[in-house]
Amino acid sequence: MFEVGTLNDSIMEKVHILADAAKYDVACTSSGVDRAGKEGMLGNARACGICHSFAADGRCISLLKILMTNHCEFDCKYCINRKSNDVERVTLSPEEICTLTVEFYKRNYIEGLFLSSGVIQSPAYTMEKLCETLLLLRTKYHFNGYIHVKTIPGAPDDLLATAGYLADRMSVNLELPTAESLKKMAPGKTFETVLNPMSKIQSTIMNHREAKGKNALMERASGNRYLENSIFYQKAISMETSAATAPKDDTEESLAMIETASPTAGLILPGKDAVLSKADKVHRAFAPAGQSTQMIIGATQETDYNLIMTTQKLYQTYDLKRVFYSAYIPINEDKDLPAKDTAVPLLREHRLYQADWLMRFYGFQARELLSEKMPYFRENIDPKCDWALRHLGNFPVDVEKEDYAGLLRVPGIGPKSALRILQARRYGHLTFESLKKMGVVLKRAHYFITCGGRMMFRIPIEEKYIMNHLTQDEYKDNWKVSHGGEQYHQMSLFQDFGMEAAR
Amino acid sequence: MTIFTCQDNFAARMTCIYDAWASKLGHEHVQLRIEPIEQLEFFVDYVHVEADEDKTEKVVRTVQREISMEAYVWMYYASLSAEEDALDTTYRFLVKAFRYGSKICQMLQDDTVMRMMEIKRLVGNEAHSFREFARFTSYGDMAYIAHIEPKANVILYVAQHFRDRMPSENFVIIDDNRRLAAVHPKNEPCYLKELDEEEISRITQAEEVSSGDPFIAYWKEYFRSIAIKERTNPVCQRNHFPLWMRRHVTEFV
Repeated sequence: MFEVGTLNDSIMEKVHILADAAKYDVACTSSGVDRAGKEGMLGNARACGICHSFAADGRCISLLKILMTNHCEFDCKYCINRKSNDVERVTLSPEEICTLTVEFYKRNYIEGLFLSSGVIQSPAYTMEKLCETLLLLRTKYHFNGYIHVKTIPGAPDDLLATAGYLADRMSVNLELPTAESLKKMAPGKTFETVLNPMSKIQSTIMNHREAKGKNALMERASGNRYLENSIFYQKAISMETSAATAPKDDTEESLAMIETASPTAGLILPGKDAVLSKADKVHRAFAPAGQSTQMIIGATQETDYNLIMTTQKLYQTYDLKRVFYSAYIPINEDKDLPAKDTAVPLLREHRLYQADWLMRFYGFQARELLSEKMPYFRENIDPKCDWALRHLGNFPVDVEKEDYAGLLRVPGIGPKSALRILQARRYGHLTFESLKKMGVVLKRAHYFITCGGRMMFRIPIEEKYIMNHLTQDEYKDNWKVSHGGEQYHQMSLFQDFGMEAAR
Repeated sequence: MTIFTCQDNFAARMTCIYDAWASKLGHEHVQLRIEPIEQLEFFVDYVHVEADEDKTEKVVRTVQREISMEAYVWMYYASLSAEEDALDTTYRFLVKAFRYGSKICQMLQDDTVMRMMEIKRLVGNEAHSFREFARFTSYGDMAYIAHIEPKANVILYVAQHFRDRMPSENFVIIDDNRRLAAVHPKNEPCYLKELDEEEISRITQAEEVSSGDPFIAYWKEYFRSIAIKERTNPVCQRNHFPLWMRRHVTEFV
């Protein structure tokens, strides 16, 4: 415990080291649960989530994302905190974490705590420490804000349950989409130790939701109701070729594992004897904001197709709220990893997130976007335009007649603008001008729509023609995404060649 | 052309709408503006309107009854807006609303309705931004104080959010441009207060005297450490967090 009100150098150093070590975790969201404030308590939660700042890399800072410790027993090759790395190791005590969280929260710096940790001593010991911190925060510090906790693979069930009653969202990092590459990259983890807790958490969440009279499945974007094809309401489109006879490769085996791990799972309950069983008396719902996971991309050889198929499976089988992607940043030297000077695959990450959105909000299925024959997204064009170009037969559609699902398939029209179109066209005709104001991106949409029976310009509906024009339009934006980090300045004799000093 | 002018508050705006309408000059012959009017025009009559409680109530009641609650909400949001055309757009919006009834809020293909929706959205978005970006500083046991400089008059929405968020703390949110403070005493309701010269100088003094808040340093260190160097992207950062909103934000000052 440190004195509130004085500056403490060791805390400063710990904040620096442990925030720096936590920065590669991507899920910094505070969304998914609505909770009003209470007198005597500190904090509330908003389902929309609230970002509080944006770091120099443009990523949002919503939670105090920090590790409890960067000591680690595991030796995952991609991780900065792996056992074999020679880095300074520190640990924050539960009291220190609580004070930081509460004081930051009162100053409106953050929306809550995102607590993760390296594995110290054993998974069980680490998880117990995490739970202790959360319990302290909820009881002694009366903290009512958002808490996201990472579960440690291999931790016992009762501790998972305790954490679930104290936190709003739980997450288990899948890290890699296939069992094979996980084994290779993370010797301490196996696919089972990741998937088991995930399915147990899921079934406990479902039970709790049903007990409260809610639907067992998590809430999804409301537009999904109108989408027959949505992954949340429809099992995956069956494979066109009879894959059952084909020899199974590693990817399919992993997908099968994801699917089968689920029904075996039972409920988890907090232990009775432990001090932590107090968590039961806090009277909180079990992980009301659901669970999420993250995958690293670019560290191993998986294709985009593997990744989005795994993503879809995860959404369907474990009812995850989100799947996050993290472009691998070469920090470790290892023969199994990309070389240290490899560029960060930012554009690839961007394309995967676009695909993730298409699945969660637009009613696309993974198999529609990519296939075994076409396993990667194109660099120069986004997945939705790409899909539209491959299905030019469906276009152009008339915005005054097409239904919601059909409108959402048009590049440049999103859930918001589609809804506005539906509303507005009941009361009068639409024009391209008014479409633009409603938020339709005509730059992309005009190749695919008619309004009042006319297209915006006289253009041929040919794949090559549209492709050329679209890539020309998008070229600059794509370049910006993939070269986001680079900065240029005018060279000057004095500044760049040390002439200043010589002068 | 006659231009009706009024001060920048809800009652004055509503009265202005009432008077412009009741003048029977014809909708196309009147315009509504917020004072101060900087550049006067030729061949135009300027009519100053003072806030009137009865007229305000009449406008509010009529809109709620004859059009819809949603239209009233739009109108209320627009009355907080700092956009120059907000008041005049509200007037044009009401002209159409009385003609089309409750479906007006869906008729986005109409330019006036669209503009009205944009104004409402701007105010709503700004209120949300300041919920995110207001930064409190602790001054010992006194209170947590936040300064904001929003364009629209969103302090009430911001304060409501914080009342729910920290019901058992003393805090004050100050709108520096409008000299308006939302004061929240511990476990009590929040109230708005206009600050005079003396109160402002007392607050400034108290802020100068109190010793530095150590969590400012921790937060700055955290903010620096959490960014990934290889992904630096100032343009993306600016898109999410515009420079003009950073004026009182701890990690940028």
